[in-house]
Amino acid sequence: MIDLALVLEWVIKSLVVIFMLLGGFAYLTWFERRILARMQTRVGPNRAGWQGLLQPVADAVKLVFKEELIPARADKVIFVLAPILTVVPATVLAVVIPFGTQVILFGRQVNLAVADINVGILFLMAVASVAVYGIVLAGWSSNNKFALMGGMRSTAQMISYELALGLSFVLVALMADSLQLSEIVEAQRTMWFVVLQPVGAIVFLIVTLAEVNRAPFDMPEAEQELAAGFHSEYSGMKFALFFMAEYQKMIVISIIAVTLFFGGYLGPFIGRFPWLGPVYVLGKVVALLFGMVWIRATLPRIRYDRLMDLGWKVLLPLVLGLVLITATGILLADEFGNSLVWSIPVVSILAGFLTVGLVDRSLRRKFNALR
Amino acid sequence: MTIPVSTETLDLAAKFPGIVTPDEREGYSGWIVKADELAAFAASLRDDLGYDFLSSVTGVDYLPEKKLEVVYHVYKTTGGPGLVFKVQLPRKKPEVPSLTPVYPGADFQEREAWDLLGIKFTGHPDLRRILMWEGFEGHPLRKDWKEPFYEEDIKPYSSRWPEGKHSYAEDRNPFNDNVQFPKQFDPEKWVPEGDAALYGALAEYRTTDEDGLDTDHIVVNMGPQHPSTHGVFRAVITLDGEDIVSMKPVMGYLHRNHEKIGERNTYLHNMPYTDRLDYFCSMTNNHGYALAVEKLTGIEVPERTEYIRVIMDELTRIQNHFILIGMLLNDLGAYFTPALYAFEERELILDIFEAVAGSRMMCNYFRFGGVARDVTPEILEKVSALAFDRLPRKADEFDRLLTENEILVSRCKGVGRLSSEDAIKYSMSGPSLRASGVPYDIRKADPYSIYDRFDFDVAVRYNGDTYDRYLIRLDEIRQSLRILQQAIRQIPEGPIQTGKSTYLTKTPAGESYGRIEAPKGELGYYLVSNGTGNPWRYHVRAPSFINITALESMVVGGKIADFVIVFGGIDVVLGEMDR
Amino acid sequence: MTAEQIIQQILFFISAALTLGSAVMVVATRKLIQAALWLIVSLFGVAVLYALLDASFLVVVQVVVYIGAIAILFIFAVMLTQRDQRDKGPQLNKSWVLAALVGLATFGGLTFLVSSWTGFGAAAAPIPAGTVDMVADLGTALVSVDQYVLPFEVASVLLLAALIGAIYVAYNRK
Repeated sequence: MIDLALVLEWVIKSLVVIFMLLGGFAYLTWFERRILARMQTRVGPNRAGWQGLLQPVADAVKLVFKEELIPARADKVIFVLAPILTVVPATVLAVVIPFGTQVILFGRQVNLAVADINVGILFLMAVASVAVYGIVLAGWSSNNKFALMGGMRSTAQMISYELALGLSFVLVALMADSLQLSEIVEAQRTMWFVVLQPVGAIVFLIVTLAEVNRAPFDMPEAEQELAAGFHSEYSGMKFALFFMAEYQKMIVISIIAVTLFFGGYLGPFIGRFPWLGPVYVLGKVVALLFGMVWIRATLPRIRYDRLMDLGWKVLLPLVLGLVLITATGILLADEFGNSLVWSIPVVSILAGFLTVGLVDRSLRRKFNALR
Repeated sequence: MTIPVSTETLDLAAKFPGIVTPDEREGYSGWIVKADELAAFAASLRDDLGYDFLSSVTGVDYLPEKKLEVVYHVYKTTGGPGLVFKVQLPRKKPEVPSLTPVYPGADFQEREAWDLLGIKFTGHPDLRRILMWEGFEGHPLRKDWKEPFYEEDIKPYSSRWPEGKHSYAEDRNPFNDNVQFPKQFDPEKWVPEGDAALYGALAEYRTTDEDGLDTDHIVVNMGPQHPSTHGVFRAVITLDGEDIVSMKPVMGYLHRNHEKIGERNTYLHNMPYTDRLDYFCSMTNNHGYALAVEKLTGIEVPERTEYIRVIMDELTRIQNHFILIGMLLNDLGAYFTPALYAFEERELILDIFEAVAGSRMMCNYFRFGGVARDVTPEILEKVSALAFDRLPRKADEFDRLLTENEILVSRCKGVGRLSSEDAIKYSMSGPSLRASGVPYDIRKADPYSIYDRFDFDVAVRYNGDTYDRYLIRLDEIRQSLRILQQAIRQIPEGPIQTGKSTYLTKTPAGESYGRIEAPKGELGYYLVSNGTGNPWRYHVRAPSFINITALESMVVGGKIADFVIVFGGIDVVLGEMDR
Repeated sequence: MTAEQIIQQILFFISAALTLGSAVMVVATRKLIQAALWLIVSLFGVAVLYALLDASFLVVVQVVVYIGAIAILFIFAVMLTQRDQRDKGPQLNKSWVLAALVGLATFGGLTFLVSSWTGFGAAAAPIPAGTVDMVADLGTALVSVDQYVLPFEVASVLLLAALIGAIYVAYNRK
């Protein structure tokens, strides 16, 4: 028989995750604007509510009441479908994330994850690969050349970077000996993977920036070239959905990064107080998001062809090498004692420096050839 | 005083007998060339005499004499005064051979002369209207052309309140709108020929690879509404994937016929209008105009005023270059941070402008033979605080933060290259010319005001790519600071105005060409006076307009993302480009 | 039948209908982009069927490979072609009656044969939850010497060859 209480628990947990993402999206925009403003010697939104805290509400009201335009000769069905297709994967991604171990709520043992499935990492890959559809279809259906170019760019970009993303997942799976996210977190009880896989973590962070189209990889919407790229023609709530998807993806991808490399819900006293798990996750996520905003405020955009070069010619070989290094390191540790696991970070840092050196050399050559 | 545009000791009439005669009208200088021999004459000027830089091409409508005159100003990029030559044409059928084969920089200027004056340049590769729209009737700078709201030829108008009663101009206009077009013309059914011609020229670009596969190209209209064209500039770009195959600039969306307005105003009336040309640099715009009028009338400028002018010019240059660097980084995709850092410095400089002129952007500060208000010691103190302390520090900070940035370097190096030959050929001027390895700065090459007194270097870079165009702005900021520091130390006490500031109800008949090194390039004003209080002809040689002649050759072959930064690196302002 | 099984049955019918219906739409629709989109729906239906069979690994692979990679390449190709590229010719040709008859006959024959098979009646033995790690089993099977390592490696070599071939074809010798 289906346990009704279990169904109820699922529904409640799903709702909590959805509302967390919605609220997170709203206040991430506020957070980003305030931080950007501080970095740019401005003040940022501070009028609506205390410290501008009601600004997201004001924005939402504005967007709801804006006119929704559908361009002439656009493919109407797909045009409307595209923003929805963008938001859904961004939300669904969050269901496999563990936010803590188990807490006792209302006399029930409650797992702090919506669905802790045994192929969690693969699930992330699958949903991430679906996420590109919204952008592609938006670009195609808008009947606008800038939008089309934005859509094409994003397709190529996301497919290219998915390879490196998948392989950096492999690194973690190798280290944790599991595809299940809760087990990956538990495997970091002794040591966070960011220490054991420093280069892998950096690659992962770079690739995720590209996957969520954040600066300096915001090709699909590159304002200076493509007006607004794939969402040039969108307005009102449909635009808001794209906006929401982008920020939700930022949040979710930060949570994933935290889970895979930064010890997830682990932290001091987590054994005694399991409810600290979500708090730790939140703190780490905010730190990562701050990093993303910081990067946006600092770096110019990479040119599109260079971005593809980076993905295919630099990151992919590097992360393939890292997989080899990790696998060898684990084998060595199994055979000759656990301390050999430290060969992984040492060798991979060397590989990282080698890569940077090679890139630097090739750039130097290119510039010297110009003179 | 400035060195007037003279002909040195050259006797061109002896060198080209029968072709060239000296211009002997009262107040005029230069040479009059026969239309048929113009191309050969120009080629000889360029190759034998070294006048390789075509500064300005424009026309004048001498209605009473029933003549149209085309005026050319050429200079040597090695420095020294320039040379003026003119071609006189019958008003009925004004045709003159195009100089684009000799000076490709004449391209847009000849199109402008065709558009506004109806002078036909035979042999011009693409003689379309450039500032007006394609369905426009007539050539508005001709003296017998009257616009829909026509009231009177010159200001101040007496028709605004005839007998104390006012009437609406639109009631007097048969079209009931501020447009006019040929009879039997229906704007609703109009297919713009110009667009057809424009796209038609682009459609030739089709490629077939060795396997016989045909590739279609995408035509993208960047602008007139686009975030990175810095205004209402439109570039029609043909793309092969992300690569630019061809590019045609389209402008005139902000055209207001500044020159026609200028011809109606009295000389002093026109000063505030020049503010609106390059609205980032109203001080230098004022200076160029004041220079031209002072040359025409022979008004002397007091010592202290010259120093004030130099200080304002260099402050303008500094803030312009800061903004350029900030906006270039913005074009590169850095989300506003460098731009806002630049704006912070600009605001401080604008504070000074506000203190002296009362307005931050539209300063209207210069007068003929003076400036509007004196600079108080407190203001001077503020300026020196900026010049000696803050701005050098900030220039170093920009250098430290940006110059070595990997993304900036990899996106700018080798992008939009322009060789020094091409830069001269296309009449590129200002920092973009100097970034291509041509050390040509009017402040040194043909000094005006008191620039010959200061010790500074002409900044020059040799690669001619966008990275050098970025670096040269930093160099120029530093050189401007040197000038500024010297000027602050040397500024004498004294009067700021020769005589009284007047409307100049009478000017000696004649012509004058005043040019300065504006932040964006060579800014020239060509004035023709017939002795009255209004200029007969008033022409602006706008650097923004002429510098983009070379744009096409710089962007073709690059990526679409490169177009944005190449365009940003040239530094244009649409208020000046479209006039 | 328990409630759980009933729900599973319903889900099965829905997803099967979705898969088949959208498969028909793939060939029936005239617009290229819509055909590609229907194909995605169909592939997604298959993924749901895998999920009903508790084959979580296959579900994910189906989504990653088919929906996330192959179908997106279709869409990419469609986007690069002209916008109003649609099938303007008739959807059916002369021999459609014959083809339909053959199809029906085949379907009828298969149904007849399969209906006599008793396997349908038997309920599948439930997979003992938690005791076997199927993903791990699959992984070991692919690389262990006495199981499938040879086909696995052969397939990977084949793919590598295809990859090199593609690069060779696309490589610009200039």
